[in-house]
Amino acid sequence: MITRFITDVTTRFNPFSARAKSARLFLSFLPPTARSSGMSINAKLLPRASTEPSTLQIKFKDGKEMKLDCESMGIKSIVEEVDRHSRLLQKEADLAAA
Amino acid sequence: MPPRLRCAVPRGLGSAINPSRTTSRSAVLLLPSAPAPAAVSATRQYATAAVASTGSSFRLPADYIPPTKPPTARPSDTRKSQLLRTYTSLLRSTPLILIFQHNNLTAVEWAAVRRELRLALGKISSDGTESAEVASRAELQVIRTRIFDVALKIVEFHDPSKVAPTETSALSGNRIKVVHNHDLSKAAYKAVKAATKGDEPLPESSSYAQISPLLVGPLAIFTLPAVSPAHLATALSILSPSPPAFPAPTRKKSPGYHDPIAQSGFQKLMLVGGRIEDKVFDLEGVKWVGGIDGGLDALRAQLVYMLQSAGLGLTTALEGASKSLWLTMESRRSVLEEEQNGGKEGAKEDAKEGEKTESS
Repeated sequence: MITRFITDVTTRFNPFSARAKSARLFLSFLPPTARSSGMSINAKLLPRASTEPSTLQIKFKDGKEMKLDCESMGIKSIVEEVDRHSRLLQKEADLAAA
Repeated sequence: MPPRLRCAVPRGLGSAINPSRTTSRSAVLLLPSAPAPAAVSATRQYATAAVASTGSSFRLPADYIPPTKPPTARPSDTRKSQLLRTYTSLLRSTPLILIFQHNNLTAVEWAAVRRELRLALGKISSDGTESAEVASRAELQVIRTRIFDVALKIVEFHDPSKVAPTETSALSGNRIKVVHNHDLSKAAYKAVKAATKGDEPLPESSSYAQISPLLVGPLAIFTLPAVSPAHLATALSILSPSPPAFPAPTRKKSPGYHDPIAQSGFQKLMLVGGRIEDKVFDLEGVKWVGGIDGGLDALRAQLVYMLQSAGLGLTTALEGASKSLWLTMESRRSVLEEEQNGGKEGAKEDAKEGEKTESS
């Protein structure tokens, strides 16, 4: 997963729900240096009884915000969505550097 | 060395000096199905031949199982299987487990986290006490999630005491009954398969059904060898501080905690739940257990006080009836005695009064 262009990750989930799997896996995909390189990560754990859907919001360097529905999407499709935009930014960055 | 004689050795001598005879006899003792010892005794050549034949027929019984190698459903000599055994024994013996998700901690961050945890736990207990013992056995370890999942299933669904014994033969050929109920056994495998078979969800009361959604992604567990709210509160204030009840240690008291490496390590640890005395708790539940003042002893003292005071009330209530009866009888007796001793007029009045008090 390309994480260079992500500036902000906000997620809320109830770990006792099976639908929280993709949100939790997304957090585990962020690199060890994510926080030190300026990405802000907010993970809010909901209490066990809550039925609130698990959500994931991602902000990119160009200001684009992405709201992903973790209830229906698996980790693969989330990574695909994020990478689709990241690749665009990567291409722009490469052109600017060249 | 004496020269070799080419002739046959006389019978008596041969049988006396032949050392192979004793060995053949011991083999015969071991194996009741071997040829009779009478055949061995003739000549030297005959004896060696007999020894060779008994050696080839020294076979273990077909269904003999060495006691050190019981049959297993999973290969017993792989790392994974042994890890599974460690996890099952950990789950059976550890009353308090906190489950954390760890998101890409580096080795130095793990070291810093463990160091701070050890320091904080060491501070709350003095040397040589029970609480120091608990603190020294507290451990934060990374687990293999899927294997831990299987271990949880085995611990819940496999009951070793209910496994029926199987009949095999011992080394001596006798039939014996042996129970193979270890965690890698076929019985354990079948019990788990039977419990989790099919599409129907497990009952809500099953603790595995409650904890299984937690077992996703990279996990680490913090284990304490006893349910000690004091230690739990300290661990919570280090690993997942929440200001009013479990504040993080101050910069002055533990500067190492505010070290950037340690801080980035703590940020990546996420408490997702806990398993305390076979019950599953979420974040709030774990905090509740950590917030019990004075630990289990205080709870027990409360219970004892409650039971005692209830008992006291009951005894006074039961005593009351007999006591009032005794009082009335006593007063009546004193009245009667007075009647016998003193003047009739005054005594009658006294008696009337006594009756009044009795009726009231």
